[in-house]
Amino acid sequence: MPQMGVSAAEGTLAEWRKQPGDWVAYEETICLISTDKIDTDVPSPAAGRVAELVVPEGETVEVGAVLARIATDARPGEPHASERVVAPRRYSPVVARMAAEHGIDLERVAGTGRDGRVRKQDIVALLAREQETAQDAPSPAPVEQGESEEPPLHIESPYRADDPAPVVASTEGLSRMRRAIGEHMKRSQETAATVTTWIEVDFSRVETVRRRLGMTALPLVARATIESLAIFGSLNATWDGDTFVRHDAVHMGIAVSLGEDGLIVPIIRDSQDLSAEGLAKRIKDLARRARKGELTPDDVRDGTFTITNPGQFGSVMATPIIHQPQVGILDIEAVVKRPVVVTGPDGEDVIAIRPICILGLSWDHRALDGAQAASFLAELKQRLESLV
Amino acid sequence: MATMTYLQAISDGLRTEMRADERVFVMGEDIGVFGGAFKVTDGFLDEFGPTRVMDTPLAESGIVGTAVGAAVAGLRPVCEMQFADFVSCGFDQLVNVAGKLYYRQGLPVNVTVRLPSGGGFGGGPFHSQNPEAWFMHAPGLKVVAPSTPEDAKGLLIASIRDRNPVLYMEHKHLYRRIKGEVPEGAYETPFRARVAREGTDLTVLAYGAMVHVALEATEDLDGASVEVVDLRSLKPLDEEAILASVRKTSKALVVDEANRTCAAGAEVAALIAERAFEDLDGPVRRVATPDVPIPFSPPLEAAVLPSVERVREAARELLEY
Repeated sequence: MPQMGVSAAEGTLAEWRKQPGDWVAYEETICLISTDKIDTDVPSPAAGRVAELVVPEGETVEVGAVLARIATDARPGEPHASERVVAPRRYSPVVARMAAEHGIDLERVAGTGRDGRVRKQDIVALLAREQETAQDAPSPAPVEQGESEEPPLHIESPYRADDPAPVVASTEGLSRMRRAIGEHMKRSQETAATVTTWIEVDFSRVETVRRRLGMTALPLVARATIESLAIFGSLNATWDGDTFVRHDAVHMGIAVSLGEDGLIVPIIRDSQDLSAEGLAKRIKDLARRARKGELTPDDVRDGTFTITNPGQFGSVMATPIIHQPQVGILDIEAVVKRPVVVTGPDGEDVIAIRPICILGLSWDHRALDGAQAASFLAELKQRLESLV
Repeated sequence: MATMTYLQAISDGLRTEMRADERVFVMGEDIGVFGGAFKVTDGFLDEFGPTRVMDTPLAESGIVGTAVGAAVAGLRPVCEMQFADFVSCGFDQLVNVAGKLYYRQGLPVNVTVRLPSGGGFGGGPFHSQNPEAWFMHAPGLKVVAPSTPEDAKGLLIASIRDRNPVLYMEHKHLYRRIKGEVPEGAYETPFRARVAREGTDLTVLAYGAMVHVALEATEDLDGASVEVVDLRSLKPLDEEAILASVRKTSKALVVDEANRTCAAGAEVAALIAERAFEDLDGPVRRVATPDVPIPFSPPLEAAVLPSVERVREAARELLEY
């Protein structure tokens, strides 16, 4: 088990890419290791034939444990267990691509090109035939013909047996990521004394500045949050076992939705050193890599505070669950234009239309109290409403 | 619309633009009193007078250099090389001066150079060349090559109006052989490729005289549906049109009358290999003139220039591949 990232002590063998008897080249991926929610390719440390898989898929082992044995005295060039002895046919790029797109086994396609080459025309013709077959497929047999079919209750009755309801349940079960999210969330609810406090913020300034800088509101809120955390340090903290640790640096976690696959919280290390523009760049990069599955274990470790941003979908309020072992998570909701009472030029009350956003802070009552949480939110509100 | 030869269309385009725009004038060897070696400017001296139709000494460097100066001063000169082959004497003025002035000093060089090019009529090694690739390689120059009378006129007008130096390759073998409908008045043909014939099984890419060879060679190929793309502009190349056609047919044959190495066709082949790889169902093939001077002997010339038979054979091989 290689060291995955600087601080992982163990990892789960997610998938073997080679089986005993297979030839593996130096640095060719031999298996996938899962740490937290990240899957990482493990390159083979040597070339040779896989002799034995020591750790089965799904098992979690410590760094340094033996995963597999590779016979390095085996000779390359001998066929792999997974290789066929027949000389491989070669396919043009377009044929290979179309076969992949339509799930065609090219070995079964007879070629009409030179020396039996499979040509694009052959694939096109095959697809056309398949489509024809699909169209010509007999429609459900008329009731009178099949004895096994349920007979009508009455010869003129319009009754026909309903098709069986489609089975909704998936046989695949929950993905590894879904399971990990579930465990983390449940553990947080059982561990922390979570309270959520909300504040309404006038986003007029945020909207103006973000338009000028050509970015979303997220980096601006993140920047103001980091500045506010510098004042209310008890929120930029973690529980290490039973010990409460405050951090000077803000390693800011940003929740990134991966659609149905789940979500992941990559970290911007030392985010206190970055401007809003710098944060915007990093957020973009992390989100892109998260969606492409290119995050490394270190990208999701050591966060000290988290921002989640579901407001982009229009919701106005939430009670986020704290990302353990942190003690606070800030929730940004949708910016909605609302009539609000503001002070006019002569000190009188007037109703104005303002873009309002509700920021929610879930915090751990073990680490701090309501006064600090509310003061933090007030500080954040003041900073966002006076952005220049 | 009037029916014109390719040569008459060039003449017509030049005359139309000279009538419309006083800044346009022509220079070249024997283009005034004699009306040009191929009679493109026949009658121009009488109509436009000696200040706009200038006979020059036999000095291509001087012709191009003068034109560059006139363009910088705000005029729109059109230079005639008597034969494209002679442009090598004006090479430095084109490659080192005309092509770079805009980059160095921000000065547009609105020069058009007409290059009667190509072989196929026993002109020998000094009167048959296709030097377009020399200039495609030089930054700052545009290169166009019409294949029909309609495009010959439209591309010439577009070249004269383009603010960059444009090398206009007019194919001598098309001059009086090719006739077609030509719209009246001024019009510009865009520097974009044209589908000369639509098809689905193979794309043949060509320009200039080779468009006609490609069309004839693939007219009747056992019922195969062959698309012929006329590039029209070599620099810039109409990359999207080329790629769109190849992506449709998955097979490409490039026909190029120039010597094979580093020719326009080589650039087209490279583009396809680079950007249409996933759509290819066969190797990108080229039919071009081998790297030899064009022989004077008619049978030898016929042996080196891409012929209808050679193109047909290559097309057949690709179709069967």
